[in-house]
Amino acid sequence: MKICVLIKQVPDKDSKIRINSDSKTIDSTNITNIINESDNYALEEALLLKEKHGGEVVVCTFGNESSNGIIKTALAKGADRGIFIINTKPHYIDILNVAKIITDNIKSEKFDIILSGLQSDDSGNCQLGLLIAEMLNTSHASLVMSTEMIDDSTIKVKQELESGWFQWTELNFPTSLTIQSGINTPRYAALRGIMMAKNKPVEKIELDISGYTPFLSLEKLYIPSKSKETQFINGAPEEIASTIVNILANEIKVL
Amino acid sequence: MNPEHSHNVPQLFYIFALISMFYMAYNLRRLFTIQIGKPDSRPFNFLSQLYNSLSFGVGQKKVYSKRFTYASIMHFLIGWGFIELVFATTVDFFTARGWFTDYLPGFDTPWFAFINDTGGIMLIAGCFMALIRRHYIKPNILPQNNFSGRGTFLGDSGILFFLIFLSIGGFLTEASRLAIENPITAHWSWVGYAISKTTSLSNWIYLKPYMWWGHAITSLIFISLIPMTKMFHVIAAIANITLTNRKKHGLIKSMNISEIMENPDSDIENISLGASNVKDFSWKQLLDSVSCTECARCSSVCPATRAGKPLSPMKIITDIRDKLYSETINNNKTDDLIGGFISETELWSCTTCGACMEECPVLIEHVPTIIDMRRHLVLSEGKPPTQAKESLEKTMQNGNPWGFSKEDRLKWTEQSDFKPPTLEEKNEVDILYWVGCAGSYDPRNQNIALSMLKILETADIDYAVLGKEETCTGDSARRLGEEYLFETLAKQNIETMSKYKFNKIVASCPHCMHTILNEYPDFGGNYEVVHHTELIEELISTGKLKTNINSDETITFHDPCYLGRHNKIYNEPRNILKKVTNIENIIEMKENKESSMCCGAGGGNMWHEINEGERVNVNRFNQAMETGATTVATACSFCTIMMDDAMKVTGNENTMKVQDIAEIVSDSIESSV
Repeated sequence: MKICVLIKQVPDKDSKIRINSDSKTIDSTNITNIINESDNYALEEALLLKEKHGGEVVVCTFGNESSNGIIKTALAKGADRGIFIINTKPHYIDILNVAKIITDNIKSEKFDIILSGLQSDDSGNCQLGLLIAEMLNTSHASLVMSTEMIDDSTIKVKQELESGWFQWTELNFPTSLTIQSGINTPRYAALRGIMMAKNKPVEKIELDISGYTPFLSLEKLYIPSKSKETQFINGAPEEIASTIVNILANEIKVL
Repeated sequence: MNPEHSHNVPQLFYIFALISMFYMAYNLRRLFTIQIGKPDSRPFNFLSQLYNSLSFGVGQKKVYSKRFTYASIMHFLIGWGFIELVFATTVDFFTARGWFTDYLPGFDTPWFAFINDTGGIMLIAGCFMALIRRHYIKPNILPQNNFSGRGTFLGDSGILFFLIFLSIGGFLTEASRLAIENPITAHWSWVGYAISKTTSLSNWIYLKPYMWWGHAITSLIFISLIPMTKMFHVIAAIANITLTNRKKHGLIKSMNISEIMENPDSDIENISLGASNVKDFSWKQLLDSVSCTECARCSSVCPATRAGKPLSPMKIITDIRDKLYSETINNNKTDDLIGGFISETELWSCTTCGACMEECPVLIEHVPTIIDMRRHLVLSEGKPPTQAKESLEKTMQNGNPWGFSKEDRLKWTEQSDFKPPTLEEKNEVDILYWVGCAGSYDPRNQNIALSMLKILETADIDYAVLGKEETCTGDSARRLGEEYLFETLAKQNIETMSKYKFNKIVASCPHCMHTILNEYPDFGGNYEVVHHTELIEELISTGKLKTNINSDETITFHDPCYLGRHNKIYNEPRNILKKVTNIENIIEMKENKESSMCCGAGGGNMWHEINEGERVNVNRFNQAMETGATTVATACSFCTIMMDDAMKVTGNENTMKVQDIAEIVSDSIESSV
């Protein structure tokens, strides 16, 4: 079984985000970069599948030079090799083109399963895994909450629907699954793994994105301004209660 | 030859003695099992090694503990009774051969006769006390299998009966000799003399050979069995104590991970990172395990054991010993050390408070051994406790276990009128104030840091902070077994500090202080580091800081483990309290100073919780409540958080206050203005 995990480097949510003066890029100084949260769960799911059923786990990322760190971490956790598509001109590129780039570079691998996180914490497109499935003409499922191998070429997944409903689907290989956070407990990168990762192969592909025709263009990047404020109500319990009633009745008008 | 000394020893006895000695030497192979351990070089200083051996070994200095009065008296009687009898036997060995008889006393020399009989009585009395303890008092922390255990012969009670039998035999032999020889000083052998009067001379003449041989044979059997019984501790424990490096006692050893990583010859897949089996420990750690006498004092004082957590420090040590014997002398196939003998939760329950090491009479170092096994779990297996994993990853990414942005390290100062200068701005100062992650990010601890600013500014100290350049010292990471992360952080901090000039570091958190002071030297960082209580005491005593006695509060001081036990700072915080409140308002908890109980957060337990058992912080908080004090004073970031939490959990927000010494001092400055 050959599994590909698509991972992406994103800024840590506790980092202070600053926009560069071009209004189109993020100031990368003082940013802590981490692996996208749901991608981390996808990686763990791939490693668990490999441990149980054998095979190979290949991590693939498309990003600038600094994304090297997440590839190393993934290899330390147990992935077997990496495909690092280096974006030599890092500026905005739409998700359809990202899917095309990744597809172009992985299709020769003929993966049985492509796992990716449900969505990226920075741009939040929620589309990559599904676009690649369409481009490679594979089966696909999104919002996957658990996986179970049925036989050598079929996997059963549990998907999350709205309001507490779930759906179980059986998919034939090749397939592309987008993984929901919380599906497993991602492992810790042990020192032994970090040392072993040094000898694992990473295929580096330098790519100039100007060869791809943009589908969308970025107008402006900005930090949302605060529009709501938390109001603290102080005082004795009775006073607090009457203030709340007053707000509910007169300001929000729900009473 | 002085006739007073001569008595005939049959030739046959020497043959038996030789056999006994050989058998003892053969059984001593238990001691040599430690050879499978890793090398552990230590400075050999003859005088300090001799001091160890005489004061802690033969002198049993640590056996006598105020927390274990009964056992201390018991061991005093057995120990000194036994030593006296060994002394008597040794003197007899020489004098019986007519050697040094001009200098050595004989059995009828009054003082010698008197102490010999007293020694015998002490031994018997001590053994009876021990039997009463084993069979009637039965402290449940002691192993309950009295006639087996230690994988050895006779168990805990059997050897006591043997010793009593041996002593009685000695008295009977003496009585028969006294009855027959009837020396004029006979009454000085007060016990033997009394026994000699119980029957007729003809009976004694008949009995004497049986008495003599009986005692001789039991003594020889006893000697031959020493390494197989509980008595082994007189050899193993004294060896362990003698070879202890007391300067570094209890300190965690560095692994030099960068060296392992950079060495191209490292067999990455098979190299041992931490300890997963007995051969991964150093010979000294194995000697620790071999010398354990199962007194269970470590477990009696362990906050985790007392809270019903899965850990018993004694079991950890004896498990290592059992595994060692099974791999060497017994050559048995047994379970794995970790996962079989010792569970992962046992290892994660340790708060590294050091109470076990403080009480251990034979100077065993439990904590570094537990850390070595944690290292295996984290570095080799990637299995830190699930909750702690997150804090380790956050420390790696953001330089603090809470995971806040590095850039927000000085955000706490926004609430203050005082803006601390940074070393980046000043380059050279007298004092570097080490705020720590808790002081920087935890709201409760930010108030302590703010109090420190006020104190530093009021006393007009030339100080600065590192600000954004400060990063976690790695205390929790190291104690969680994540040595790679610790080493990275230590090197980073040392590099940052090497850019600037300062005379002294003042840390608010004893964990930061301990790490920089005692652990950074291994990485080339040598600094003078003090805790803020040390600085404040100095400022008050030199008059640079004026405080008022303004408190009606009654205060009890909770000694943080890393301030007290690990760094012996007990008086400074108490001296400060005496300056800010009336002396009669300071009430000690029953367990204070060396015997203080941990708040439960040390050893990385701040970041995860073992759900089994009671909560350690609540137990400690209840001890503070028992004093009737209205304030628990402490001097540690983690202790403050834990005590504060326990105060809320037990619903005592209106009856009790939790304050750091710095906050109390800061308040008392305010009132003087």
